[in-house]
Formats: sequence, structure tokens, C-alpha cells
Amino acid sequence: MLNTADFYHVLRIDQTSNSLREEIKEHCHTDIEMCLECGKCSGGCSNAHIFDITPRKIIQLIKVGEEAKLLKMDALWSCVACQLCVDRCPSSINIPRIMDYLREKAYSQGVPASRPNVELFHELMLNNIKRFGRVPEALLSVEFNIRSKQYTKDAEMGMKMFFKGKLNPIPARIKNIKQVQRMFRDIPAQREG
Amino acid sequence: MNNSEKTALIIGGGLAGLEAANKIGGAGYKAILVEKEEQLGGIMKQLYGSFPRWDNPRELVDQKVKMAQENPNVTMKTNTTVKSAHKKDQTFVVELSNNEQMEFDAVVLATGFDFYDASQYGEYGYGAFDNVLTALEFEAKLKEMESWDKEDLPQVVAFFKCVGSRDRSKGYPYCSKICCMFTAKEAGLMKDLNPDAKCFVFYMDYRAAGKEYEEFARSVMEDKHVRYVRGRPAKVLPENGKLMVRAEDTLMGVPVEVAADMIVLANAMIPAESTIELAGIFGAKIDQYGFIDYIPGHPTQTGDRVFFAGGCGFPVESLGAQYQGAAAAADVIALFTQD
Repeated sequence: MLNTADFYHVLRIDQTSNSLREEIKEHCHTDIEMCLECGKCSGGCSNAHIFDITPRKIIQLIKVGEEAKLLKMDALWSCVACQLCVDRCPSSINIPRIMDYLREKAYSQGVPASRPNVELFHELMLNNIKRFGRVPEALLSVEFNIRSKQYTKDAEMGMKMFFKGKLNPIPARIKNIKQVQRMFRDIPAQREG
Repeated sequence: MNNSEKTALIIGGGLAGLEAANKIGGAGYKAILVEKEEQLGGIMKQLYGSFPRWDNPRELVDQKVKMAQENPNVTMKTNTTVKSAHKKDQTFVVELSNNEQMEFDAVVLATGFDFYDASQYGEYGYGAFDNVLTALEFEAKLKEMESWDKEDLPQVVAFFKCVGSRDRSKGYPYCSKICCMFTAKEAGLMKDLNPDAKCFVFYMDYRAAGKEYEEFARSVMEDKHVRYVRGRPAKVLPENGKLMVRAEDTLMGVPVEVAADMIVLANAMIPAESTIELAGIFGAKIDQYGFIDYIPGHPTQTGDRVFFAGGCGFPVESLGAQYQGAAAAADVIALFTQD
């Protein structure tokens, strides 16, 4: 997580790079120069309380090309892509898409997530999608708890959910799993270094 | 008395005064326009560009001047001021600076405004550094830069808004209303001249309340790529032949710096001294700052047979000046018709 000391240096805004802004324009089809700086994204963000950098500030950081900060921020991994920000944005800036792009970039450059087991969780989840075409929550939780050595994590809640019929212990597979697997084959995850 | 011999005095040959003279003359009454400068057209004549449409403001002025010249009821006297006046029944007996004495049945004050003296902000270095200009000086500079080689054009230009306005300590507390728009215009024109230039506008708010204004300001940011930085610059210091601007980006809470080649100060529009003097002569109302004040319920009237239009009332954009000139003329025409 970033703290104030990381932030507080004088920024030479005439020497900042536009490249990240251009990349995002190209890959996310969203122009952050359209931002009105109103803060409606941050105000409505469902996870702002655990974000180290809130959505409006993320857009500002893109504007000044602070890529390094963006790739190591914790918000990258605590954003749940709930789409509230883009839904409410008066300029239709697709922040979840930008977050996706930045996450991919951080992953491919090997920038470690700031909290433990984030990569593990993402890998297990994608793996399950590859196998079943959807996410079997019970299996994923068990796998994650074992691999991260947190054996009793959320066990109590899991049991409650099971007895209420909210958790199916047997993973279900979608009909046309081949299509999903073809997707994974065509677009392999890339990671440098 | 034949009504068509009624005569109105219009003081000030800017856009508002020209509009009033043209309308009064067009209605068949006599309009005498006096202008203290040699040239008609006021501030508009000195501008390089206009907002919210990218028109040529000098063409607009020329068109209004031509209309006035072609109207036999309109007489324009440049290099002329009002020396004194006194009321005789329903008329003003006015002595002009050329010692001419004339009688008028109504007066329209269209004396325009002055600009705040930017050198009062020591921290911005106006007067100390050559490349710190006022907005009006920059308009002339834009014209000059048309013929410059590309490598001589400034690469980094910083625009400061609210210089002398929204300042309770060194300037005036009011918002000078049109600086947001002309700053957007000037930054956009700079980008047109040199698309490689980096333009930064330092602002507290950008106020774009007008038809097409928001779209205009946004297009300067989004299409011409002028960077808006929220924060009032704190100081300008020379550094390696550049002017280092220091401010806080208040949206991020970080201090920022820009090494600028040129700085443009959007200095506030303030009451002209001559307005206050003339208001005294004609019995016009003056507000707390020195702008002409209106009689409640009569937005163009400021005294008995005294009307006003344009920037002498408050900072106003070119379209507003024309509206006000026409509105003041309508009041004069109505008054003359009733007489």
C-alpha cells in the first residue's frame, strides 16, 4: 500500500508521459481526458473504503503518467469490477476496463500484488473456469484454503451456506466446455520475468 | 417638437456602444457616439480570437462600424470625451473635449472596463519577467506569433486564472466572469499555432455558464489537449532561462511544477476610472466597486434619462455586450417615442 511519503514529491507536470493515456485510449476505448473530475466514481465506489487510491485519483494518475504507482497500488486487486463507477460516470469513462488493463499489465510485468495470495486466487479461479466453464465456489474455496495454508478460513460461513442450500459441493460443468477451453488456448496468459 | 430630432449621446465606441448607436439611429433618432480613443471597437478590436465560436472578433467590430458609418442618423466622434454636463429640464447640456456644446435627450454609458494591474501580484513576476503577459497582451502576441518560426514559438505556456478576481486581499472579491472562457480560447489558439506546445491552465473552478460555453471549454481540453490543473499558482521563479511555476494540484493534493516559456495572466476586469467620473457627471448609480448600477426593475437604466450597456456595468462577453447595447437602445427609443 502507498503511504503519504511515497506521494509527496513535487511533480513536474510538463515532463510527464502521455504513453499510458494513449495505451488506455487504444486498448480500453476510453479517453480519460473526458474526465470532469467530479468524483462521482469515488463517491459511489463499493470498495472505496479499502482502496488506497480511489477511482478519481486513479484517472488523475493516468493523466500524469504515474504508471509505476498505478501498477503497484492495492486498489488494482481490491476492485471487484462491480461497474458502479462506469454506470454513474457522466463521461462514461470505463474505469473497470482500465482496471482490467492495469491488472493485466501489472501481472505481465511481474509487479507483485500488495496483499498475499492474490495471484494464487486469480490463478485458481481461472483454472476452474477452464475446467468447468464457471466458478464452483465450494471447490475454489477449499483449493484456495489448502494452497494458501489458511485451512479454516471462512469455514463457518461455508457450513452455514451449505445447510441453507447456497453452496453446491459438487462442481457443475457447462455444456459446451470446449468453447471455453478454446478461448484459453487462443489467449494464453502472458507473464514476463 | 418633432420626435425624430431627439438625440442620444452614447459614450464609448466599443461593441455595446456601437450596437446602441446603430439601433437608436436605425429607429430614426439621432445618435452621437463619442470615443476617447482614436480607434473604434474597444477591447474587441484588440482581440485575436473569440469564444464560444472560433470567429474573428475584428470582423464583427468592422461590420458594426460600417453599419454606423452608413447610417445617416449616427455620428461618431473619436478622440473625444465628455468634459462636463448639466441638466436643463429634460435635456443634458454637454460640453465635449473639442469645446463643442450639444444638447441630448438621453445618455447611454458604454464606457467599458479596465484590467486589474497584474504587477500587484509580486509572486507572478509581471513587469519583472518579459514572458509574463496579461491576457490582452497575449492576444497581440498571438497575432505576432503567426509569423514566427516554429522553433521560436513557446513550447510550454502556463495560464493563470483569477488574477485580481476572487481575491479579497489584493484584488476584488467578485468573479470576473469571462476569464475562464477567454483563457480556454487563448490556450486553444496557442495549441492551434503550435500543436506541440504544452499548455497548462491553472484554475480554481472553470465557469462555463453560457450557451455553447461548456462544450467550448471541454473541446479545448479534449480535442486540443490543453491540460487543466486545479490550483492557484503560488510563485514564479526564473530557472535556467525558464519560468518555474509552483502550485498545488488540489485534486491530487500534490505539489506540481511547470517550467514555462511563457505565462499568461487572466487579470480581472475592473471598473474604469472614467466610468466613475462620468457617473458623477450624469447622476448614474455606482455600485460598491465602481461599476454602473441599475435601477431595480430597469436593468438598463441607471438614472433619469441615463442608460448603460456593456462592461461598464459588469464584465460581459461580446454577445452580452451586444444584447445590452440593443436593450439600452430599446429603452432610449421607447423614451423618445413617449416624449
